[in-house]
Amino acid sequence: MFDAENFIEETVEKIKEEVPGRTLIAFSGGVDSTVCAALVNKAIGDQLIAVNVDTGYMRKNEPETIKKLMKEMELNYRFIDASDKYYKALKGVRDPEKKRKIIGELFIRLFEKVADDEKIEYLVQGTIAPDWIESGGELRDTIKSHHNVGGLPENMNLKLVEPLRDLYKDEVRKVARVLKLSVSEKQPFPGPGLAIRILGEATPKRTEIVREACDIVEKEIEIAAEKENMELPWQYFAVLLPTKSVGVHGDKRAYGAVIAVRAVQSIDAMTCSFSNIPANVIDRISNRITNTLGDEINRVVYDVTNKPPGTVEWE
Amino acid sequence: MVKIYVVDNGGQWTHREWRTLKYLDVDTKIVSNTTSFKELDEEKINGLVLSGGAPRIGLKSELGNCAEYLEKADFPIMGICAGHQFMARYYGGEAKPSKVPEFGKVELRLLKEGDSLFEGVPKKSIVWESHNDEVTLLPKDFEQLAKSEDCEIQAMRHKKKPVYGLQFHPEVEHTEYGAQIFKNFVKICEK
Repeated sequence: MFDAENFIEETVEKIKEEVPGRTLIAFSGGVDSTVCAALVNKAIGDQLIAVNVDTGYMRKNEPETIKKLMKEMELNYRFIDASDKYYKALKGVRDPEKKRKIIGELFIRLFEKVADDEKIEYLVQGTIAPDWIESGGELRDTIKSHHNVGGLPENMNLKLVEPLRDLYKDEVRKVARVLKLSVSEKQPFPGPGLAIRILGEATPKRTEIVREACDIVEKEIEIAAEKENMELPWQYFAVLLPTKSVGVHGDKRAYGAVIAVRAVQSIDAMTCSFSNIPANVIDRISNRITNTLGDEINRVVYDVTNKPPGTVEWE
Repeated sequence: MVKIYVVDNGGQWTHREWRTLKYLDVDTKIVSNTTSFKELDEEKINGLVLSGGAPRIGLKSELGNCAEYLEKADFPIMGICAGHQFMARYYGGEAKPSKVPEFGKVELRLLKEGDSLFEGVPKKSIVWESHNDEVTLLPKDFEQLAKSEDCEIQAMRHKKKPVYGLQFHPEVEHTEYGAQIFKNFVKICEK
């Protein structure tokens, strides 16, 4: 079995050897990067600078929550609001792989700037096994370029340190529990954020729509899981589809976009089955989405695909 | 400690095979399929897993140095997905594009009880699949151990040697008795 205590001990020692001086960590506030930050903090203390980037594709209130977390962990941190840069870089981009690569490269350029200013050589990332497996390379096919692996630019000056490379999410959570981190049970959220939950162009306007829909899905499912109506899925969110469908609003024709609700059960993200959401819960989600986003959305569908053949995210 | 290596044929779940073996306290390592047999032999391994991978064994017949391992090994080998299809071709069987490729959940039916690889696995169980090709002709030295609704040869073994091929993926969490199958393979390698 996986021994989290042992892993922590060995990894902290390894980081001490691998990282001789000041280092940056790409900090998203998710389980992987938070665990990484805690481990590197143990190893080198205030030599570590955590950098969080607001890409503009974050979930509702996320930037504030992350700032709070960085303070709570007593990290030496920098917060960069780069939403305008990301929106500009993704203007007119529809291809999912292009989106991921643009986002990955922009992350690195922002980190490099901080590193230059602070004279830092090392970049710690919370890369875990599925990130590099799915990013492919050599014999392995590219399923999707994870921003922190396949999305990295070829020419980068920072030296990468990835202490969690051989771990899967369930193991990272075990480490997080031992380290008593508040994020240990937080659901995964991809680095490219909402940009890959918007099929087609990820404009600011479409981002607002999917942000609201994701918030509704998260809240309703969390309430239902708390009431023991259902098991809390491994991951649950909304996707904005690039198609339109006909509806009827107050005796008038409506022609709006479609939201897909996705919820899956998994251990490690390498295989997943879609969650059985009770009908009354999916009913409430559907009503709230179409009522809140009435002008934009008039249809909600539920994704009943396992992985394989699907993946968790749509892009 | 028993030593079983995983040959990486480029599968999405190669690393899961490594993890499953590690959880069973096996001394394990992922090695590239370009590793020579001599290098493997010098490590004194007790068994080998040939992973799956993106190469279409139904369309071409090469898979790194897997042929050399099958030719020279005197230890148990378990081929999974592409590894299994390659094994069938190597021993004179055939692998071709599946009429109905299987992805995700499938019911596995064991044809023969009492084989040591399937000890403790019920006659019907849920396994997870991901394949475009499959074994369409069993090699003559092999016997078929399991099937599914859309794929006839889900599991096979050599009649005289501890050499196994599995079309489904015992290394993933969603395969109900996957860890049990690996445990059984470890036992076979310990003998």
